[in-house]
Amino acid sequence: MDLDEKFFEKFGVEYAPNEIIFCEWEPGNEFYFIQSGKVRIVKLIQNREKNLDVLTEGDVFGEMAILEEQPRSATAIALDHVKLLKLHRDNFDTLMAGNPQLAYKLLVIFSKRIYDAKRRLMILLLEEPQLKVMDVLVMLAEQDPHLDLQSEISLNVTAKDVSRWAGLTEDDAQKELTHLSRTDKIELFGDRIAVKKIREFQRLVASRRKNMFQ
Amino acid sequence: MSNGAGGPSGIITRTYKAGSIIYFENDKSEYIYILKSGKVVLTSLKLDTGEEVKEEVRQGEFFGVKSALGKYPREETAQTMGNTMVLVLTPADFERLVLKNANVVRKMLRVFSNQLRRIVKMERSVLGEGEIVNPDAELFKIGEYYYKAGILKHAQYAYKRYMEYYPDGEHAALAMKRIRGIDAGEPAPADLGAHDAGPGASPARPSGGGDDQSPNESSGPADMIDFDVSPEEREAPATASTSLENEMDDFLSDTGSTGPDDFSHTGTMDDGSPRELNDAADASFSKRNYTTALKLYQKIISLDRRTSPDERKLFEKAHFDAGRCLIELGRHKDALEILSRVLRNFSNSPYVKSAIFHIGTIFESVNQKDKAISYYNKVLNMSPKDKLNSEALNKIKQLQGR
Repeated sequence: MDLDEKFFEKFGVEYAPNEIIFCEWEPGNEFYFIQSGKVRIVKLIQNREKNLDVLTEGDVFGEMAILEEQPRSATAIALDHVKLLKLHRDNFDTLMAGNPQLAYKLLVIFSKRIYDAKRRLMILLLEEPQLKVMDVLVMLAEQDPHLDLQSEISLNVTAKDVSRWAGLTEDDAQKELTHLSRTDKIELFGDRIAVKKIREFQRLVASRRKNMFQ
Repeated sequence: MSNGAGGPSGIITRTYKAGSIIYFENDKSEYIYILKSGKVVLTSLKLDTGEEVKEEVRQGEFFGVKSALGKYPREETAQTMGNTMVLVLTPADFERLVLKNANVVRKMLRVFSNQLRRIVKMERSVLGEGEIVNPDAELFKIGEYYYKAGILKHAQYAYKRYMEYYPDGEHAALAMKRIRGIDAGEPAPADLGAHDAGPGASPARPSGGGDDQSPNESSGPADMIDFDVSPEEREAPATASTSLENEMDDFLSDTGSTGPDDFSHTGTMDDGSPRELNDAADASFSKRNYTTALKLYQKIISLDRRTSPDERKLFEKAHFDAGRCLIELGRHKDALEILSRVLRNFSNSPYVKSAIFHIGTIFESVNQKDKAISYYNKVLNMSPKDKLNSEALNKIKQLQGR
């Protein structure tokens, strides 16, 4: 990417291997653009550190801070020696004017984010908990392009994850999952859920969603 | 529709008659369009009301951008009104084009970020106040996690941020203490049980607040809420014991067992560290030599060594395994007694879930079906979900089928 030297002088920051760039729950006002090196994104889930992603040169992270100040949803840790551009929300417009490539990158990220957020919202707007849980599984299945939705699929989720996306308490989500597993629609494992016929869920949710507004 | 000659950079031009569909909602396509002449209307459904929304594309405007860039299905249907001409771009064409026009990207980015902000806001409002999360407490917890994991540099980072943002926060004293400790080169904590009860320790949160005391335990307090041993009961162990002891009373009225004083009996086993005793006990257990195993586990209990996390773990394990021995030996009431101690005294222990499961098997073995089911049900609802949850489910199915 052709960013001039001055730009790096002004906004460049460097991190040593294993150094935290920002940590989950800390307020965020800046977003970052990776110039070189790798950044590990992790999150504490059930008191365990879980790797969400490894980002590399050209990637952007912390971009939700562009919208408003809110706590970071994950921790970013330098994996090796990392050079970043650290960009503050307040300079956003000026920055974008001078860096169409960065702006384009963000455009792509925001497109995805908007869709993902809308998709999650669609789940939350369903009325019955059972449907919400089914739709969470449908959403996760849709997100994985490697899955063959015609046959039984396996999703790496726990009841807790499902409860979060469905906007249910963990108990309620577990109840629904247990019900689905008792009726042999799904099978519950420690760290994953197998769905026998995800297409069936998809059809059911779609038709209920349609009826919801009639 | 007809494909016209390529535009200046090989970009395709297409013409449509009135009423043609350029794309349907849910179509998957990577194309991005620019309206050159004519009229295009985008029709979509409002997420929350199902209401139909129509939006007219103005000449020179892009459409189909988000779904093409985000690689997801079209969210609207694009239909022409009157004869229409559009430019068709691949994402690569689009990128080239917009990089030359910083203003275009910037405007689009503004629109997108407003949309995103709106949706995220809506999402949060739908989720409502249900999520009572204190960012300050959560930030402190991150510090605690790394502290207990011995990754002091990361812990230090989180504590420092905590002090930066919440200097008057409820965990400030402890965060400060930790920062000083780490600065002074104090080693990673071996035993946190005592430290955490200090003045700066987190007061009991509604969710149970037990996790700070258990450095080597992964199941958080939230996982425990379903169970009888609810947070209040864990703070007042006496309550927890009554519920189970009442059950024990009506469990078996015969006094065939040797009673709880059995556990003070240490036998004449060789001395050894809890670790050695444990290994010997495990070996006996695996050879189904339950009497010997039981004595060894009881020895560990009577040694009462709980200074290091390892010793504490063995101490808890000894209770649990003694319970398993007693089950094997048919001493149900004693088994129930000791397993209930696991629940009561080590509510954060990894053995809790198995202990509950085994209590279920005890009730099952004496044909107290309903009680057995209720214990299996507790296991079923406990996280993390593992083999035991499915076993519990099978047990329930079996018992209900009977």
